[in-house]
Amino acid sequence: MGETWFQREFLTGRRLAFNVIFYGLHFFFFGYGWHSQATNTRLAGLNSLGFSVWTSRGAGLVLAFDGGLILIPMLRNIIRVVRPKVQFLFPADENIWFHRQVAYSMAFWSMVHTTAHYVNFINVERTQIRKQSAQMIHYTQPGGITGHFMLLIMMLIYTTAHHKIRNQCFEAFWYTHHLAFFFMIGIYTHATGCFVRDSVNPDLIATFPFYSTRHCLGYLSWRFIIWPGILYFGERVYREYRARRATRLSKVLVHPSGAMELRIVKPSFKYTAGQWLFIQVPELSSFQWHPFTITSAPEDPYVSIHIRQVGDFTKALGDRLGVGPSVVAAMTTAAMKGSERKDVYTGSRGDFVEIDSSTSALGLPAVRIDGPYGAPAEDVFNCEVAILIGAGIGVTPFASILKHIWYRQKKGNLGTLRRVEFFWVCRDAPSFGWFQSLLQEVEAAQADPNFLRINVYLTQKIGEDMLWNIAVNDAGAEYDPLTLLRTRTMFGRPDWMTIYGRMHQVIESGQYLPGSKSQLKTKVGTYFCGPGVLAKAIKEACVHHSSSSVDFSFAKEHF
Amino acid sequence: MGNLIWHEYARYVAITASIYGIWSGFWGLFYRKFFWDFVGGVMRDPGGFQAPPSAAIFVTLIIRAPIIQIITMIIAMFMVALDYPLPLFKALAIHRSLPLRVIVLVLQASFAILYYQGTNAAIWSLIAAGCYTRAIMLGETMAEAKENRGKGGRA
Repeated sequence: MGETWFQREFLTGRRLAFNVIFYGLHFFFFGYGWHSQATNTRLAGLNSLGFSVWTSRGAGLVLAFDGGLILIPMLRNIIRVVRPKVQFLFPADENIWFHRQVAYSMAFWSMVHTTAHYVNFINVERTQIRKQSAQMIHYTQPGGITGHFMLLIMMLIYTTAHHKIRNQCFEAFWYTHHLAFFFMIGIYTHATGCFVRDSVNPDLIATFPFYSTRHCLGYLSWRFIIWPGILYFGERVYREYRARRATRLSKVLVHPSGAMELRIVKPSFKYTAGQWLFIQVPELSSFQWHPFTITSAPEDPYVSIHIRQVGDFTKALGDRLGVGPSVVAAMTTAAMKGSERKDVYTGSRGDFVEIDSSTSALGLPAVRIDGPYGAPAEDVFNCEVAILIGAGIGVTPFASILKHIWYRQKKGNLGTLRRVEFFWVCRDAPSFGWFQSLLQEVEAAQADPNFLRINVYLTQKIGEDMLWNIAVNDAGAEYDPLTLLRTRTMFGRPDWMTIYGRMHQVIESGQYLPGSKSQLKTKVGTYFCGPGVLAKAIKEACVHHSSSSVDFSFAKEHF
Repeated sequence: MGNLIWHEYARYVAITASIYGIWSGFWGLFYRKFFWDFVGGVMRDPGGFQAPPSAAIFVTLIIRAPIIQIITMIIAMFMVALDYPLPLFKALAIHRSLPLRVIVLVLQASFAILYYQGTNAAIWSLIAAGCYTRAIMLGETMAEAKENRGKGGRA
């Protein structure tokens, strides 16, 4: 099952366009580099080396192109600003994907370029067209030195960027990737040795760029590709400056389910719902930045993030805040028990606990936040119907979005948004207790019962006891026994094809949005956050059910 | 912070280094050069470095016949087969031996360092061997492949 490689790469319009343009440009640059070397009469000496020098020059130009491209998708702040304007043209949220494509291509062309140069240098030594040995060119001249260093750095960066390593030790990936600084220096200075020349000796001069272009006939590609590097460096400096602006951790709340809520006050921090930020706690590590989804709405006077203590960093943070894993574990067990003897009539599951900072000798630690960074969910208000799907921990961005929708609803300013369908697919509801309490608030505040519909799907296998519990308690109770929402919990995995099919039907027949004119196209935006397998199934359903009257669009958020 | 499983990381480095080893050995078949010929060698014009008589054995094994390049390629292919791994190797107990990998990688490095194209492959192999050594020092062990579980020593 599933599509073949050929179908994926060549039979979908956008991907085909990307492949043709991206790889087309690569082959064009290779061909141009080859041709301009082979036909340059001033470089007749080098051309006596034959194919290898044409290949290395072609591949070198392609690598310069890749070196210029590799940083562009990492200009996060610029992408955040331009993404609403370029979204129609290409998916700006897929920046990491693009970064990887450039890297793969870079690895391939590095292989071509290096192999060709190994042949070049041995031939230079044998023919003595320059009075040098191959080892001298490799290890004493700038081109060779920077080249070998770049290869080593690439090896380290590529191996630590493997998704398995990234998952088990993000730090290894994160720190190693900063070798890219030296890599970029290497790429910009790779040609300073003046290997491509028509003179006997390199024509080096005392002023920048330290070689004369009269005799050094390289492509001078650094003049073009250094700009993304400068922009990126500027962006990192700006991020550092922005992160240092006044930030205060004002409150730490611990929810019964074990999630910590950090409320941070930073007046200079402006964001929209559904975005995420990087947080740094200098006391724990002054280099590490950890991404978290913002869970407060822009209207809130603070920025909040919810952190579950699952990783090293989050556990250390919990310890520092005086709510270490042990404390939380006790609270979680209590909460889990509470979920079995809950009070169905009040619909509450115990409140959160605020950590009193005065009792701890250390006080609250200093924090720094960097962001916000984009996420597709900003566009919710441009559609008539928004389908929000959160799977597992992927519900977090929707906390902010639902809150924001709720604020806008209060102000009567919903844009074109008419209805919201919220799907929450999770394995065990109690562990996301904090989200439940938020959902309760939002649900209780609904004046129009049709505006927001919450669908909770529990995919966990349920035991016999729980089955009985549900069967007995559920009948006639006002609240759902599991989630304490008015909405009933559904069990098993949702069948997206059927769900979208039904949506399509009711929208087309006009029952779903009263008063909507059938000749107008209804825009239904799907916003998904969660694992990739699910994303694929939902996307298929979206594409399958799009028609002339109903337009299902799909956007996926990345962690 | 973070919990890097060193032998899993070393695997990627080892595979990269070994594939480089195969590639370098392959080009070494066509462009044969003793890497260390500049030590005491004489430069001929044309002709390049000629290794000193004391290094005659390397001239025989690298330039006359590309024996060392071929040995490196064989070792590197074995290393890729061991680490990737080849389905055949997956069921064997030696597939889970970290010391074996260190030995093979050091061996691979010492052959690769001898010929012109092999220097990077040699350095990278040593890095991989270092990572595997670190894994051994930390007491890491490789898990058995799923199909072998419960076979109790016969795997």
